[in-house]
Amino acid sequence: MHKELPNIITVLAEHFPGPVAEFLLTWQNVILSLIVISILILISFAVYSSIRKNGLIPSAIQNVVEIFVEGVDGFVCSILGHHGRKFVPFIGTLFIYILFMNLLGLIPYFKSPTASWSTTMALALCVFVYLQYTALKELGFKGYTYHLLGKPKGVIAFSVVIPLLMFVLHVVSEFVRPLSLSLRLRSNIWGDEVLFGVLAGFGLQGVPLLIFNSFLALIAALVQAVVFCLLTTIYFALVLVHEE
Amino acid sequence: MELFKLLAANEVVAQIISFLVLLAILRFLLWKPVLKMLDDRKAKIADDFKQIEDVKKEVAGLKAEYEENMSSIQEVAKEKMREAIDEGRKAAEAIKKDAQQSAKAIIDDAKVSIEIEVAKARINLKKDIVDLTIQATEEIVQQKLTEEQDRKLVMDFLDKMDNIEK
Repeated sequence: MHKELPNIITVLAEHFPGPVAEFLLTWQNVILSLIVISILILISFAVYSSIRKNGLIPSAIQNVVEIFVEGVDGFVCSILGHHGRKFVPFIGTLFIYILFMNLLGLIPYFKSPTASWSTTMALALCVFVYLQYTALKELGFKGYTYHLLGKPKGVIAFSVVIPLLMFVLHVVSEFVRPLSLSLRLRSNIWGDEVLFGVLAGFGLQGVPLLIFNSFLALIAALVQAVVFCLLTTIYFALVLVHEE
Repeated sequence: MELFKLLAANEVVAQIISFLVLLAILRFLLWKPVLKMLDDRKAKIADDFKQIEDVKKEVAGLKAEYEENMSSIQEVAKEKMREAIDEGRKAAEAIKKDAQQSAKAIIDDAKVSIEIEVAKARINLKKDIVDLTIQATEEIVQQKLTEEQDRKLVMDFLDKMDNIEK
């Protein structure tokens, strides 16, 4: 078992033993997620106020957020086409939430909530449910079943085995998606955290490696957020492309 | 199955709720207003560009109209010049014609005057010849006739002379 670096929650738990410590330790990932959520809401509120105050002429923070929003919009719409706009808030929120949670682990005395599988699974389940809802809404029950059967045509349509196999394959792949999404993100971030714990055990000799690993972790935090959202967008595209 | 022990159902539910709350808030505070504002800005920029294009077209139209007017003004000016030159030429011709007529009239008058003078001179010459002839005749004949007779005699002589000349 790796030695976890202390964070603000574990420090507080040490200071307040008993049920408080138990509560803090049980919900530490949720508490840290709520910190991220609070930061994001504050930023959003600042941008919202800025837009209401300044209108089309952006302030400094509004400029940064506009670049980000425009980037996400362009990214999603380039994959999903004209359908993309309605998925921008979902995919964009996922991206910024995951990115901030990943980055939280780089701040001393904090940890990434995404290092917990429960957190990443929660996000992957949200993607899974929204994806199934979108598929059913866009394709209809019959259309979605036809899609899961592999859209059989010609002779294959009259056979039973191949469409059935395709159906099983598609259903399994649908259920595997949240697992792959959540485990990929969790494992990468958790791996960074473990490495930080190990390098911290080297004392002063481990400082250069810690600094180097911080840069790697910074890149990994961004890359993992992008990968999660890219895959989510592709899953949506797979459903919506069939519709066209 | 050992892996699934890492999952805590209550934590998963709490994280789902947290994410959905965040999604709802960000949708309201961030995505909708920013995307709307970006669309508005794009529309405004497109509209501004369209206006610029319209103004450019209008300016091009005005320029073409101006150039057309300028060329027509030049044409009109040339036409006016041509007309003025023609009028000038006509006036010059008229003046020349008048001058020629005046000159001809003067010449004719002069000719008439000259003829009159010539006639007068002839009459005077005749008279002088008559006087000279009378004197000569008086001297030759040494006989003084009356003046009436002399004159008649000379006039007859001159008439004969005229007939001979003709």
